[in-house]
Amino acid sequence: MKQLRNICDGVGSVLALLVRSVGYAGTLPLQLGRFIEQCYLIGYTTLPIVAILSFFIGSVLALQAGYSMQDFGAKSFIGSLVGLSMARELGPMMVSILLAGRVGSAITAELASMKVYQEIDALETMNIPPARMLVMPRLAAVIVMMPVLTIIANLVGWFGGAFVSSHVKFIDIDSSTYFGALRHYTKFKDVANGLIKAEVFGFVVVLVCCSIGLRTRGGPREIGASVTRAVVTSLIMILVLDYFLTQVLLLISPS
Amino acid sequence: MNNSQQSVRVGFFFLLGVALIWVTFETLSGGHFFEDRGYKLIAGFDDLKELKTGDEVRMAGVKIGTVEKTQLNESLTSAGGAPDTAHAASAILRIGSKIKITKDASAAIVQSGLLGNNYLAVTAGTVSQPLLKDGDEIATTVTPDFNSIMKDIGDLGHKLDGALSNLSSAFNGDGKDGGLFQKLDRMVTENRDKVNATMSNLQEITTKVNQGQGTLGKLINDPDLHDQLLAAVGEIKDTAAQAKVFVTDAQGVIDQVKTGKGALGTIIYDQQTADNIKASIQNVRDVSDKLAKGQGTLGKLINDDSLYNTAQNTLNKADRAIDGLNDSGPITAVGIAANALF
Repeated sequence: MKQLRNICDGVGSVLALLVRSVGYAGTLPLQLGRFIEQCYLIGYTTLPIVAILSFFIGSVLALQAGYSMQDFGAKSFIGSLVGLSMARELGPMMVSILLAGRVGSAITAELASMKVYQEIDALETMNIPPARMLVMPRLAAVIVMMPVLTIIANLVGWFGGAFVSSHVKFIDIDSSTYFGALRHYTKFKDVANGLIKAEVFGFVVVLVCCSIGLRTRGGPREIGASVTRAVVTSLIMILVLDYFLTQVLLLISPS
Repeated sequence: MNNSQQSVRVGFFFLLGVALIWVTFETLSGGHFFEDRGYKLIAGFDDLKELKTGDEVRMAGVKIGTVEKTQLNESLTSAGGAPDTAHAASAILRIGSKIKITKDASAAIVQSGLLGNNYLAVTAGTVSQPLLKDGDEIATTVTPDFNSIMKDIGDLGHKLDGALSNLSSAFNGDGKDGGLFQKLDRMVTENRDKVNATMSNLQEITTKVNQGQGTLGKLINDPDLHDQLLAAVGEIKDTAAQAKVFVTDAQGVIDQVKTGKGALGTIIYDQQTADNIKASIQNVRDVSDKLAKGQGTLGKLINDDSLYNTAQNTLNKADRAIDGLNDSGPITAVGIAANALF
């Protein structure tokens, strides 16, 4: 019962924070510096790990596909398999999970410590709502940065698959064949689908992490607990949302 | 890190992302931001087989559109504003707006692989025909798919089965009247002895022929006969050649005779000679007449026997003289003989 109450409390505060932050969207031009800083932290510094991870995701997809498909001679479809799964699912998913682990945890830790050390209270005393100064620039930054990160993840993943397809002995698929199959079966619609998903995931991750950070109570030990809770909640939210979002997108734009 | 450097990096990063999205979009969708809605065509089929929404519509192998929807024509007044159609089902096609399809073009469901990937193949019509517009119905042709081919093979099997059973009843009979084999069998059984005898005779004959017995055998087996035959033929040929020469010569002789050359020619063709011969023959006849009548010396010699008697006497005398000669010596004998004789 207490658990259920906590969940409802969490959902309610997240929604309240969302409404308040969106209400401050008009103040973005005044906070351009903070917005750029958040963009830098969320996008630019996350790029290397996104690139490395998606390269290997694409590679291992091609490897597994080649292993499973070599028995029935469908190896020339590796390109379409890697292309579609990276664009529609794995690209946005991996970027969001990385965002939750790398950026979300940092946001929660920062806001939780500000809350614990009563900096948030000080801001409120100065009539500066934390939703305006701390949450809104982060949400704006993640909206701008997520598509960029996702498209880079997709492209790097595709090239990783191509690299593996042409260099692993038992697959041995020409790069042109790989990209031919990829281009034939992957449409920009699929990529756009993935970008929409990444946008939603990134927004939800940042919103949840901000909310949990701001709701931290107690001493410094609570900071760690909040970070853990924020990351776990983000991951669960990503995977659950992924299913329903995919359903909705399939309804909106059937193949 | 100062603020301006940070914003430069963020700006660069963002522009890079936008550029990559644009490149991906250009590569994958060929730069058409909004999907070409094109125009709608309706293709009626009695059986859509495995055609489904999203399958390609191709003309000469090139994709020209997609199957937007497949539906049953329940009361032959299909939904979606489609016109009435006589077919059980219809596929609504979305064709690219730049693709022109003429009224005599036709669509057929084609299987592109054994895994059941179908597409709708549209054959190009003739250029002079009017074009199909949005909402028009395209003519369709039914192609045999794998299942109908299998069904045909099954029918064929049934027919083959019937034909074979007919054949077997012809061979084995239908119970009352014996079949072909039984009749044959009976015939062979009844005539076995005759056939055997005929066969043994035949065998005997062939053995003889083989061993060179009899005329036929010799003809077949003896090489000498062949050589002789060959020689005979050669001789006949030579003879024929000689006969030819002879005939030619005879021809020449006859020609000469005809022209009156040579003795025979003279005899046959010269009137004077003929008269001479006639006179000679007359003379000969006169002489022989005289001879027969004993006229003249020669006639008397032949017909008068007194001369014979005289000679007989003379010879008798001579005989006696020769007897006397045994005593008086040869010289006297010669004189006596001479006396006696003359």
